Amino acid sequence: MPDDSVHNAPTGPGCGRSCNCGRANADADGLIRDPKSNGDGVSRRSFIKTLGASAAVSSLSATSESRANALLGREVPKSAAMLIDGPEPVDVTLNINGKPLAVKVEPATTLLEALRFHLNLTGSKEICDRGACGGCSVIVDGKLVNSCMMLALDAVGAQVTTVEGLARDGKLDPVQESFVRHDGLQCGYCTPGLVMACRALLNDNPKPTLEEIKKGLSGNLCRCGTYTNIFNAALEASGQAPIMDQKMEGA
Amino acid sequence: MKPLDEATLIPSHMPTTNRPSNMGASVNDNASRLDAVPKVTGSAKYGKDYHLPNSLYIVFIRCPWGAADFVSADEAAAKATPGVVEMQVRGKSCTYHGQSIGYIAADSPRAAKRALRALAPKWKRTPVKTQISDTVKDNPDIGDDGQNNMNGAEVTHEAVYTTPVQTHSSLETHGGAVDHRGDRATVYASTQGTSSSRDGLGGPLGLGQGDFELVCEYVGGGFGSKLGGPGKELTTAAQLAAKYKRPAYMFCNRSEEHLDTGNRPSSRTLARIGFKKDGSPVGGEIRTWGGTGVAGGGGGASIPSGRYKLGEIKKLHDDVSFNGGGPRAFRAPGHPQAAFAEELMLDEVAAKLGMDPLALRMKLAGGEHRKMFEAGAKLIGWSNRKPNGSQNSALRTGYGAGAAGWGSAGPGGAAEVVIARDGSVESRTGTQDIGTGQRTGMGIVTADALGIPLKYVSVKIGRSTLPPGPGSGGSVTTPTTAPTMTAVAKAAKTQLLELLATQANAKPDEFSIKDGVVLRNGEKYLTWEEACGKLPNDGITANKGKGERGDGHSNGVQFVKLDVDTETGVIHLRHVVAIQSCGRVICRKTAESQIIGGVIQGLSFALFENKLLDRNTGAMVNDNFESYKILGPGDMPHIEPVLWSKGQSGFKALGEPPTIPTAGATACALFNAIGRPVRDLPLTPDKVLAALAAGQGGAA
Ligand code: FES
Ligand code: FES
Repeated sequence: MPDDSVHNAPTGPGCGRSCNCGRANADADGLIRDPKSNGDGVSRRSFIKTLGASAAVSSLSATSESRANALLGREVPKSAAMLIDGPEPVDVTLNINGKPLAVKVEPATTLLEALRFHLNLTGSKEICDRGACGGCSVIVDGKLVNSCMMLALDAVGAQVTTVEGLARDGKLDPVQESFVRHDGLQCGYCTPGLVMACRALLNDNPKPTLEEIKKGLSGNLCRCGTYTNIFNAALEASGQAPIMDQKMEGA
Repeated sequence: MKPLDEATLIPSHMPTTNRPSNMGASVNDNASRLDAVPKVTGSAKYGKDYHLPNSLYIVFIRCPWGAADFVSADEAAAKATPGVVEMQVRGKSCTYHGQSIGYIAADSPRAAKRALRALAPKWKRTPVKTQISDTVKDNPDIGDDGQNNMNGAEVTHEAVYTTPVQTHSSLETHGGAVDHRGDRATVYASTQGTSSSRDGLGGPLGLGQGDFELVCEYVGGGFGSKLGGPGKELTTAAQLAAKYKRPAYMFCNRSEEHLDTGNRPSSRTLARIGFKKDGSPVGGEIRTWGGTGVAGGGGGASIPSGRYKLGEIKKLHDDVSFNGGGPRAFRAPGHPQAAFAEELMLDEVAAKLGMDPLALRMKLAGGEHRKMFEAGAKLIGWSNRKPNGSQNSALRTGYGAGAAGWGSAGPGGAAEVVIARDGSVESRTGTQDIGTGQRTGMGIVTADALGIPLKYVSVKIGRSTLPPGPGSGGSVTTPTTAPTMTAVAKAAKTQLLELLATQANAKPDEFSIKDGVVLRNGEKYLTWEEACGKLPNDGITANKGKGERGDGHSNGVQFVKLDVDTETGVIHLRHVVAIQSCGRVICRKTAESQIIGGVIQGLSFALFENKLLDRNTGAMVNDNFESYKILGPGDMPHIEPVLWSKGQSGFKALGEPPTIPTAGATACALFNAIGRPVRDLPLTPDKVLAALAAGQGGAA
């Protein structure tokens, strides 16, 4: 049962980001999720096969790159579209934080799984695994992406920045520094996602208003309740004054 | 030990100046969290991050219905799935969605889930109850004596208030990763009780307590749901790791976290209460029910809270079971439910009395609460509040207030402070930081007791091999450990000064330490590092000391201002003022964060959260984060946390009180805006519209 409410749920946190909306609402094992979890599912592989049934089969790298191209809005060479991967694990090279990293993954593997499980880059968190929380946010070719909603194969050929790649030469990114200063974190589990969302926001909009900050971060959830401080961190990281509270007498 | 390298300290000691009320309120106003850098760079390792080589991955087989009998499953197909190592199916009758009937262990998460799919269990559904009102249908008197303590009342009020089941929704789910090496093991857990989890694991691991270590350096939230023993997820991982002498990993997914890791039980409160015309309380009866799912206990809603004088109240509480997962302690258990009923009840009474609800509270509340109400009213702009229901515009503004209170705890736990020859200091205690700032607080009290800057201190917590500390529950962690750590650090300082005195052939009381400088008779004698250089090779270790108890309650008040769009029923939160005392504040920034976090959870409880069970099947219909909505950045009002620290001493509770009054104050603000009470949480647009449509005089 593909659940497109992920992207337009009226009561949800609101997606507001460029995730891979072509992906149905699938489990990490590539099976489209039945609400009762033990029922039959439609495998993403068969889903992809159906779509690509009439397409010619070519080499894997062309397959992955073509889908990545389509995802990232690059021009897609016609002959390379819609190819079949797998079912066996395949070797791919992902460009993560400026480094080419070789990894062998089943085609249904999400980028988040590849990062956490195969590459031991555990900064990106798996919190909902279906695009609702932003905890797995990474930047792919300049765009903020929920890595649980993107196949690892779709990231082939793209530049992926994870939270581990934000600090440079031992110096924190200004966003990270202002998160620290304003205590924009408690348990810290949502923090990598919010740091990335904030970075992406400021890349697009170097001086966002408070309303723009709220909107820009609205794909991310924090259960401890750090938003107030994160707004201040975002304001300060963009060279603006944080929100001033009133002075109370008698405190 | 921490390297004394300035570069690692860069962001850790920077003041923020945007909350002027709190400047100077704490032992350390400027310190940032000691673990902030690993958290913002992604290097902090949580239990769920430990994917160990050659690990087994475990999934639980769970009942998909509120009540069902297990019929059959294709065990052969599941076992034949490549990568499956072991399976256990204990067929039985289940009484809630998510109840486990066994597990599958496999070489990879994908293999385990494939096997689960292949298993395809068949169930026969049985009838369900899904809420308190399936059992409790009327509003019975307490006892049959006809007495309700309202004799002499000039104004009476009777109403029923209800709150839904709320899930903890910790972002790191429940579970653990176990690294079993045959004769020893390391357990990476996500727990609020380092010691209590350790205590339950020796058996499953097949090891003595000295042969394994439980590690929880970082915990992605808990809010009460990770208290106590290791839990079935970690226990199962430990058993399988022991059996196969290889690592094992079991963490819930988001759905399982909603279904089977505890919740705040639902509540129903029947209040009958009487007042004199001038607002003095006469008394009444308050009957409460707690919706505890399949478990008993934990449903208590404490009314009267003691925060307000309500006269003589006759009380009765019952737990009501239905086909839902059992509750677990959730940040101020019972209190937000109770405060919702109590605060909204007071506003309704005030409306009947023709009184300003704040004036009624000033009559009923104690001294500290009254002062806080006065101060908070100015900050929120209470004088702009319009009488209930007096607005006719499409967008109406409302103001509400509520009070919090929490008891204190005495010193306890064990701690150790080590001073090394290079001047670095390590404080150690086996507590855990679930986001509360415990790690940072321990560092600050150590530095403060020694009289040195925080940069010299590193803190070790979250390991079962450290001197045992308390669990993170009841807001006692800091009131328990901070006095102990202070006393132990003072003992270390005494040892150091005695040693310097001996070496200088002088009396110890000639020496003191201030701002990292050792003084002799008030004059600069040595720098901290020079003084530590005079220590023997092993430095100083202190582990004894008895701390002092912080007395009295942690009181607080909150004010909520919101707008209601009367055409859509949507509530827009605008401003929250949260004033909170907690004794002597240790770290300003983390204390402010605790208050803000409590308020945000309270607002989320007020407006959105509801574990919804299907009335026919008992299955939870919103076991995710799209339709189990928690408050997000776009819903945020401006929140002003105020630390009420004047004249306060001793370390007292802070974690729980700030989440108590929020939902109540929000409901009061809604009542003020639209002139009609909504007595059922969450305050969703449909209920707001229904209340508006109900017109004057009728029940909402
Ligand atoms: S884990 Fe990817 S959005 Fe929640
Ligand atoms: S800091 Fe704990 S979830 Fe955001």
